[in-house]
Amino acid sequence: MSNRRSRQSAEVSRITDDQIIELVSKLQQLIPEIRNNRRSNKVSASKVLQETCNYVRSLHREVDDLSERLSQLLATIDAESPEASIIRSLIM
Amino acid sequence: MHSPSQLKRDFLKQWLKGLQMCNYPKKEMSILERKKAIKLSADVAMASTRNATSCWSLALIANASKDGNNKCLVEHLLGQESERLKMASTFQLAILNKKLRSKKIIKKSCSVRRVKKLAPRMVLASSVAKRLAKNRTQLLKSLVPGGESMDEFSLIKETLDYIVSLRVQVDVMRCLANASDLLNCKGVHG
Repeated sequence: MSNRRSRQSAEVSRITDDQIIELVSKLQQLIPEIRNNRRSNKVSASKVLQETCNYVRSLHREVDDLSERLSQLLATIDAESPEASIIRSLIM
Repeated sequence: MHSPSQLKRDFLKQWLKGLQMCNYPKKEMSILERKKAIKLSADVAMASTRNATSCWSLALIANASKDGNNKCLVEHLLGQESERLKMASTFQLAILNKKLRSKKIIKKSCSVRRVKKLAPRMVLASSVAKRLAKNRTQLLKSLVPGGESMDEFSLIKETLDYIVSLRVQVDVMRCLANASDLLNCKGVHG
């Protein structure tokens, strides 16, 4: 029984290795840092993962900044102007 | 898969619904409170566009619902979907935990055989590389909602989907912020 299990896990990791390479190359195409700077395909998986983490973090930060900006905009909106009523009808 | 513009439209619709829901009850909110409400409705709207087809969206909704304050908002935002999505997320979490537990059991039983497997050089290289990348995958797991309970393969798949959605979210939010800025300036000077 344990023979079967160890054989199974070896098979699983063989499949996963190839598919991981494919996924990593997809990630490579998504991340602007890597896409713009490196024309060659010689980017290690570790580097791709690192850039992915940086990219996700920067996207999180942008969402945060944009939320802050919108919040301040809504707070300082001039109540009388017709433009403000457009925004207000959209958001409030 | 939805086209990006369709995704943006879906996200915008859900998000505006959420913003109206957040802002209606209390007109006088502090900037910080309003910012949190904006961010929450944006995150939940983004997750709902996925319609329970990805792990991270379910995890995001589950996490948002855990906070007592947000729970009502999330339920109202998702409407009829909320019960289904909540059930889907608890179900999924149970499956993932079961997978993790059985993985640990298999790992333990195979640990004796591991020593023999290291002999072929290619296996050695890939396992070393995987161990090096472990720190990075740990970091990625902490960034993607629900990532802690995923294996490496699903984690990368989920990350791809998550990045696409995050980009949509950022684009739409930026458009709205710029448009509001323009309108606001016009109002002040015009």
